[in-house]
Amino acid sequence: MKPAPFDYHAPRTLEAAIALLARFELEGVEARVLAGGQSLMPMLAMRVARPQVLVDLGKVEGLDYIRADGDALLIGAMTTKTAAAESALVAAQQPLFHAATRLVGHRQIRNRGSVGGSFAHADPASEYPAVALVQDLQFRARGPSGERWIPAAQFFVSYMTTRLDPAEILAEVRLPPLPPGTGWAIQEFARRSGDLALAGIAATLRRERGQCTDVRICAFGVNATAVRLPAAEQALLGRPADGEHFSRAAAIAGESLEEPMSCIHASADYRRQLVRVLTGRCLEEAATRAA
Amino acid sequence: MIRDQLPTSQVRYVGREVTRIEDPGLVAGSTQFIDNLALPGMLHCAILRSPHPHARIIRVNANPALALDGVVAVLTPEDVRRLANPALTAPAGWGTHCLATDKVRFVGEPVAAVAATSRHIAEDALELIEVEYEPLPPVATAAEALADGAPLLFEQHGSNVIQARVYDWGEVDRVFAEADQVVRSSFRWNRVGANPTETFGCICQWDLADNSLSCYGSYQVPSFWGLARSISLNLPANKVRVISQPMGGAFGGKGGARATDIAALLSRKAGGRPVKYIEDRMEYLLAGFGQSWDRHYEAALALTADGTMTGLRVKLIDDQGATAEGYGTISVAKPLAAFTGNYRIEAARYDTTLVVTNRAPTAPYRGYGPPPHFLVLESLVDLAARQLGVDPAELRRRNYIGKEQFPYTIPSGNEYDSGDYAAVLDKALALAEYPALRRRQAEARTAGRLVGISVVSTVEPGVFDWNAYATVGVQGVGVPEGVRVVVDILGNVTVVVGFNLQGQGQYTIAAQVVADFFGLELGAVRVTTAPTDLAPPHFGQGGSRLGVAVSSAVLGACRKLEADFRRVTAHLLGVPLDEIELMDGRFRMKSRPDAGMSLAEVAGLMLGRSDLLPPGMEPNPQASCVWTAPGRNAPDDQGRCRSYLTAANATHVVMVEIDRDTGHTEILKYVVVDDCGTRLNPAMVDGQIQGAIAQGVGAALYEEYVYDGQANPLVTTFVDYLMPTIHEVPRTERDFVVTPSPTTAFGAKGCGEGALHTTPAAVICAVNDALAPLGVALTETPASPQRVWRLLRQAGLG
Amino acid sequence: MTTRQRTTITVNGTRYEREVEPRLSLADFLRHELHLGGTHVGCEHGVCGVCTVLIDGCSARSCLTLAVQADGAEVTTVEGLRDRESGRLHPIQQAFIDAHGLQCGFCTPGFLMTTLELLRDNPEPSDDEIREALGGNLCRCTGYQSIVESVRLAASRLRG
Ligand SMILES: Cc1cc2nc3c(=O)[nH]c(=O)nc-3n(C[C@H](O)[C@H](O)[C@H](O)COP(=O)(O)OP(=O)(O)OC[C@H]3O[C@@H](n4cnc5c(N)ncnc54)[C@H](O)[C@@H]3O)c2cc1C
Ligand code: FES
Ligand code: FES
Repeated sequence: MKPAPFDYHAPRTLEAAIALLARFELEGVEARVLAGGQSLMPMLAMRVARPQVLVDLGKVEGLDYIRADGDALLIGAMTTKTAAAESALVAAQQPLFHAATRLVGHRQIRNRGSVGGSFAHADPASEYPAVALVQDLQFRARGPSGERWIPAAQFFVSYMTTRLDPAEILAEVRLPPLPPGTGWAIQEFARRSGDLALAGIAATLRRERGQCTDVRICAFGVNATAVRLPAAEQALLGRPADGEHFSRAAAIAGESLEEPMSCIHASADYRRQLVRVLTGRCLEEAATRAA
Repeated sequence: MIRDQLPTSQVRYVGREVTRIEDPGLVAGSTQFIDNLALPGMLHCAILRSPHPHARIIRVNANPALALDGVVAVLTPEDVRRLANPALTAPAGWGTHCLATDKVRFVGEPVAAVAATSRHIAEDALELIEVEYEPLPPVATAAEALADGAPLLFEQHGSNVIQARVYDWGEVDRVFAEADQVVRSSFRWNRVGANPTETFGCICQWDLADNSLSCYGSYQVPSFWGLARSISLNLPANKVRVISQPMGGAFGGKGGARATDIAALLSRKAGGRPVKYIEDRMEYLLAGFGQSWDRHYEAALALTADGTMTGLRVKLIDDQGATAEGYGTISVAKPLAAFTGNYRIEAARYDTTLVVTNRAPTAPYRGYGPPPHFLVLESLVDLAARQLGVDPAELRRRNYIGKEQFPYTIPSGNEYDSGDYAAVLDKALALAEYPALRRRQAEARTAGRLVGISVVSTVEPGVFDWNAYATVGVQGVGVPEGVRVVVDILGNVTVVVGFNLQGQGQYTIAAQVVADFFGLELGAVRVTTAPTDLAPPHFGQGGSRLGVAVSSAVLGACRKLEADFRRVTAHLLGVPLDEIELMDGRFRMKSRPDAGMSLAEVAGLMLGRSDLLPPGMEPNPQASCVWTAPGRNAPDDQGRCRSYLTAANATHVVMVEIDRDTGHTEILKYVVVDDCGTRLNPAMVDGQIQGAIAQGVGAALYEEYVYDGQANPLVTTFVDYLMPTIHEVPRTERDFVVTPSPTTAFGAKGCGEGALHTTPAAVICAVNDALAPLGVALTETPASPQRVWRLLRQAGLG
Repeated sequence: MTTRQRTTITVNGTRYEREVEPRLSLADFLRHELHLGGTHVGCEHGVCGVCTVLIDGCSARSCLTLAVQADGAEVTTVEGLRDRESGRLHPIQQAFIDAHGLQCGFCTPGFLMTTLELLRDNPEPSDDEIREALGGNLCRCTGYQSIVESVRLAASRLRG
């Protein structure tokens, strides 16, 4: 299990990194960005990823920060998950993202794995894309022709594929605040604790005069990307925040899934069931947090 | 018992919880596992493996690989056909060469190999080798293997059946005909396996000058593998030297027969340069000896109206995988050693069919065959309890072999040495607060929760003998385990053994016996492994035998030394021999205990003053002892023999809860009481038990090698082979009973495999107790959430 | 072929400078370039934790890190645990021996390094915190109970 050979560059600046990527693209050389390596390294070792060149962001200055931007939060792509998990700012302002971070893998993985890497990797079983869709995260991509902001709803294209161009680098993630009074929850089902989820749900909702508003439900681990479940959200909008309606929304969540994935640990119908169960549980949990 | 054996006024080590002498190197990271070893000029091997479950090999062209910079040698099927023989198997004739020569029979089967200056380059080179295959229809399951007109894996046999054999013990048909109750069920045990954290590795060097071979590696049973290599590689056995390195666990077939042959032949082709091969985890999961027990059972238990068990019928179809090279067959034979478990069952039938399929070959795994067998037996007992309306603990108690009945011969022929099953059960029930536990369960059920409890008892046959495996073609009685105890001129003691570290702590056991025997500090005793050409006859770890075997052999060697040293002392002091005794490390006069000589003095004299020795005495302060279990005999036509020397036993009480929505099983309580006789080092026994429980939980709830309908393996990484982490293994409450074995020196019984015999049955029985009110039952392992959820849905939940 | 990279890594206080192939993992670098064989390898795909070392004080899987990525970093391995002068075992190592926290010992260096980080950050962890911290390390031998006890013992000894 040794990687195929590749060349390696560790530029010091984002500009240099982008220039390298642009050059390799032009030359038809397959280059790949390396962040924490916690997903890429196994793929290299198994030779399922065979880039000719790795451009390591590890030495690029200025990609490792967590800072407030008004009431939003900006996180540099190379910030580790441990830094995010231990940040008081994240804990205080972004409880859902914070909870999601703590569900990722194990300490050793979070110590190395980057925040940006998880979004860029777009593993459908990852917690992060689901949080992105629920909370409308925005992604700052830097490329040869400058920078652009990509909203979460457009960022995730399909299985391990994002809207980023080959010469583009995800530089920063912007997390808008949860509106005041928002209740949130994230739950997942994995065979062992720390494993990637077979299915998971991230949800937020608010309550106005006892009725649910602003319901957002996103499933991960079931389709090629994390998916919002609009039918279930709709079913709850304007309805009382109680067990009966949560169950109904949960049932719809399960049914409304389009062709869930199937693997040895969970068939499509079992994934539907997990989504139903987790949706119900998340809505209950979120409701307890909603003001 | 311990005291009687040791010439000491105070036993300091044997039977005590002492820290292990093997640990300092292990915690320091300095222990020489095979991949830490490098020899001058060493090359690295990588193996090209079949992507097909079943295919004819049309052509292999390895030349492009040879052209790659850094590649020194390649090995092809052609070479292998010329230079090697097919693997030995039991039964004979179901093996292949180390590289597939005519066709491949499973995904991951080696097809070609490369030796290069680095592993990276060797793997690059594999990509250049061209292999042309003609795919053949695969045999994916045992049922397919048995179907009319099934494709054949070994055409020469005309069938995919390795062996079909029915054993009849007692009047089975009569007891079933006369039974008041017969419970029956089918079971499917899916493949699981050892998965030590260290995979197999070796370094082989073929000395071209004298045509001899040295193999360094993680060899669980060194001389056995050495002998097998001499046959597969056409070398005289005394020209194959196996040097076993410390192992990062083994739990069954560690020893890499094919890989050793491949590395050896590559060394030969590379002009005698040493060649290292380290199996990687994906190779291990695909084709290492890490898959065991692929079984389909149909079984029935006969009882009288009062709950007396009278007969047991077990029909087993065992999918051995593509060949018999992994000795998976012996796992079918081993249940004979404890076929009827803890119970007085008068008659039994074992109907076995061993087939080949295009799955990976199976191998031994801790416990060998009994873990699935006991799942079957104990599940039947629970079914019977439910039908009779008797508490499952009570039904077991009624049928236990009574403590006064030992030695007890079971219908399948083995003799249990001793035990007190009721005492073990009582202790377990008390520790679990069983009545309260049942009350908690009743309350939980009222609240709609799915809570189940099991009380499961099993016997662990300990100290295996070859005779147990005669039924699948392994011949022989007796498994010699030898040690040499050497005293140097200054009185330092070294124990030379033929096996290496694997985790169970046998070096410490050897040192404990020596230290107490000669009144030494534990840390002063050195234990070391000799290569096969220098070691006394030995086997090594396997079949829960080494603790007993090594302690017995060391004791025997110490006694021989004692006799010689007494002679020297008596001669020197000019007193009769029986006036001299060994006590607390001194050879002293019985009548004047202050007069005598120390171990060092006697040894020094022996080696330094031959003029003072008794006439005819050799200056040889060392002694060997080769131990084998006494009283073993050859099997009769129904496989009956005294096979395993000891019979430990255990009762586990487990409480689980199943999530009604997801089918997830959580272990709420886990109680273990065992009786393995004298505990030579209680902490180590505890460690064996807890470790085996973890593996049992894995087998019951998490681990499974899955194949698709074309015999393609779907579990090839640790992402999918789910070994329990710290979160999945329950914290257990443990206690024990000690019924010393009358057949071993210190009264110890084999206990290395222990809880793996019990835990899968205990967990699955608890799951089924939880499901019972719903009228569904789980008859397939593991109890994965998805599988349990299907049952819940069938019952209208979920 | 690929260009070797000049790489400087400080391991257990000693600075090493090597020309390495980019595809070399930190685990292989430590084991085969520096001959520090205490860091073991069990899966090479990030699941077992056997290869755990500290990189700049943080536990990390050395099989999931390239040696070149660790350029400029301080790495601590199991060989760096014992006292340099006296050769005495670190209290965590001694606790694993005393509480029988190992059997085959192949996983042990990974557990020791993870424990080192845990007890540095949290000198008095609860059992649940110990379990949480060790969740990424597989052990096939012990069933973990004695490992938890070892960590507890080490923690109490380190607190003095
Ligand atoms: C045992 C284990 C358990 C895990 N469990 C979980 C889990 O529960 N949940 C979870 O979400 N993840 C899990 N992971 C994955 C882990 O979180 C990874 O860290 C993460 O997916 C990728 O981050 P990274 O920084 O390591 O990226 P890398 O592995 O370096 O890169 C991953 C991919 O993203 C690309 N990339 C990375 N950064 C950028 C960037 N800034 N711009 C453009 N492209 C980029 C790379 O080119 C590559 O294709 C687990 C991993 C392991 C080994
Ligand atoms: S070897 Fe690195 S995690 Fe298994
Ligand atoms: S002690 Fe063997 S794997 Fe942990």
